Amino acid sequence: MNFFKRAWLNLTAKWGRSVLLVLVTSAIMLFVLAGLLIRNAANTATSNAKKSVGATITLSANREAAFKKMRQQTTSSSNKQQRPKLTTTPVKLSDAKQIAKLKNVASYNASVSTSANAKSFDAISTSSSGGMGGQTMGGMSSNGDILISGVTATSAVTSFSNNSSKITKGRGITASDAGTNNVVIESELAKQDKLSVGDTIKLKGTTGKKTTYTMKIVGIYKAASSASTEQGPGATDPANSVYTSYTFANTVKGSKYKNTADSVTFTLSNPAKASSVTAAGKRLISTSKYSLSSDDSSYQTVKASMNNVKSFADKIVWLVAIAGTIILALIIILMVRERRYEIGVLLSLGEARWKIVAQFFAEMVMVLVVSLVLAGFGGKFVGNKLGQQLISQQTTTTATTTIGSTNQQPGGGNGQAPSGNPGGSGQPSGNQTGGSARHGHQMTKGATADQSQLNIDVTLLDLVELGGFGLAIMFLSIMIASGGILRLQPKKVLID
Amino acid sequence: MLKVTDLGYWYDRQANSLFEHVNLNFESGTSYAIVGQSGSGKTTFLSLLAGLDKPRAGKIEINGEPINELGLTTYRRSQVAIVFQSYNLLTYMSPLNNLMTAMAITNAKHRGDRDYARSVLRKLGLSDQQMTKNVQRLSGGQQQRVAIARTMVCDAPLVVADEPTGNLDETNTKDVIAQFQKIAHEQHKCVIIVTHEPDVAAACDHAYRLAEHQFKKEA
Ligand SMILES: Nc1ncnc2c1ncn2[C@@H]1O[C@H](COP(=O)(O)OP(=O)(O)OP(=O)(O)O)[C@@H](O)[C@H]1O
Ligand SMILES: [Mg+2]
Repeated sequence: MNFFKRAWLNLTAKWGRSVLLVLVTSAIMLFVLAGLLIRNAANTATSNAKKSVGATITLSANREAAFKKMRQQTTSSSNKQQRPKLTTTPVKLSDAKQIAKLKNVASYNASVSTSANAKSFDAISTSSSGGMGGQTMGGMSSNGDILISGVTATSAVTSFSNNSSKITKGRGITASDAGTNNVVIESELAKQDKLSVGDTIKLKGTTGKKTTYTMKIVGIYKAASSASTEQGPGATDPANSVYTSYTFANTVKGSKYKNTADSVTFTLSNPAKASSVTAAGKRLISTSKYSLSSDDSSYQTVKASMNNVKSFADKIVWLVAIAGTIILALIIILMVRERRYEIGVLLSLGEARWKIVAQFFAEMVMVLVVSLVLAGFGGKFVGNKLGQQLISQQTTTTATTTIGSTNQQPGGGNGQAPSGNPGGSGQPSGNQTGGSARHGHQMTKGATADQSQLNIDVTLLDLVELGGFGLAIMFLSIMIASGGILRLQPKKVLID
Repeated sequence: MLKVTDLGYWYDRQANSLFEHVNLNFESGTSYAIVGQSGSGKTTFLSLLAGLDKPRAGKIEINGEPINELGLTTYRRSQVAIVFQSYNLLTYMSPLNNLMTAMAITNAKHRGDRDYARSVLRKLGLSDQQMTKNVQRLSGGQQQRVAIARTMVCDAPLVVADEPTGNLDETNTKDVIAQFQKIAHEQHKCVIIVTHEPDVAAACDHAYRLAEHQFKKEA
């Protein structure tokens, strides 16, 4: 360990040079730290986003196969006058329960849609500008004015889970409501008919015996205000949508629908497993009758965009690390040249060359330790600045995406930027960091409205990681520069 | 102790070799002077003896073992101590630390013993205050005494010196020569000194002159 002592003596004797080395190393470490901070923030945001976006797979009738069958009937049938019928098979709950038992399936939600007519109260009628409002546009004769969404639990319905619909009074439908006539109605309907939780309403079936059902209001929800824009002509007002247990909706549809559902949606505990769960599920069902499709698009988009941020941050880290290695290697090469005489003296004393290299390395590690402390303090400052920058960028982005969200495809593809250009070249702010965070946020919008706080703080782990990078940089630099030590001829240095 | 057989050396791009077919023996407890004209190749010869360079022809053996088989680094570390005209001290250290470092590297018997290093430096006339300040703040004579002290604290049986008095005045020269004689006779080492100065050569037990590519014993 003699070289260790020499390293210390050298650094303290030539303290002016040591201070300069510390400053250069601190600057390089600070850049690496900034990159690491961005990357870690992106990682945190990614895992948060993954947790919140989730993924679902949906079991429903295989309409494609049904259509195919219908067309086959048309061609094979000799009687061209007879209209072919589209026959779809409702999903059997026993199948759904099988799939629910698969790994990575967190919960499932059966949904059954039907309608009935308001009997003891008035449905909200829309007879607005279009002139067609409130009209039933031919086709199905079974349409009532109250749209019944039978569910296992309202909390599992997308509009509730992403907070666009909210229970304002009472409670939502839960699994324990199965078999009851409990209902959750919209707040506008409740207001118009002066209904509140605990009241009962009557609904009349539209088919068969046209049974009258007495319903108990257990909750009132508020639908997203923008929901009306989604309505096409001929649809009933969204305020006329009520939620009941799927068992009730099946009862309204008729006895043959018992223990079935229009579709069953499975929520996955791990969105990354969507395709493997889908594949496993398909083995459990008759794929000619049913289709099982996954919707992990929001997860995929989040993943893709976060990967952009991450790869950008990774690039920063690597670029700075490589640049730092080159700079330090050059400095050390110069230092080795300046210290040829000293190296010659050590060699003439019989010191092993690797121990001289080790002395240089030890000196740089000592410099690194001081630099890490300095960079740690500096990193707090840089981290704060970065955080502010990211958050202000996000605020503007949130506004942009809200405006653009109405025509956003379910795939959410519009957030995908070409990777490798995360800065967005034309951005007036021009800040690369901000630009990359922008993408990340755009992806997670809606699902992660309140995750805009990217946590940028220097932790001990960051410093340890930084130290690792620093050590690697020092090691590489010394290795590059050590050629000068290993080749040095002591005779040349000492005698000439 | 040190045996040179059929030794030859020439630099690239040089018409003649500096010396050829040199056969010499150097014994412990004896001091040798090597004299000769400037440019005759004395320093080159010494660098071969010191293991700083490899001969073009012939071989050098220490106690019967060829030094290239021992390994030049090991040879330098365990067998030779070198004193140069330009002192060759580690400039960022005090005299004391120079000695401590040399003892650590050469794995000397007294390694780690500060008091021993101090006593040797004191014998060579350095004050306690001079021992602990940077070597560059010492005079040339003082620095050369530190370099000599360094050879004394290391256990190497062979001491080679290239014009050790070249930068010194008369008093310092006498002093340094006396120290080399002590190293040879009291520490029972083999001391080989390259010098221009007849006084220094005369003080040594034997003298060789390098002329016309050969070493000849002086009277
Ligand atoms: N590295 C080298 N490459 C080529 N030639 C060299 C080299 N070093 C020395 N020489 C030449 O070899 C010859 C001997 O040099 P050397 O230094 O051994 O002489 P010297 O006897 O020590 O001289 P001085 O008494 O002046 O110190 C000189 O002519 C010198 O020019
Ligand atoms: Mg010379």
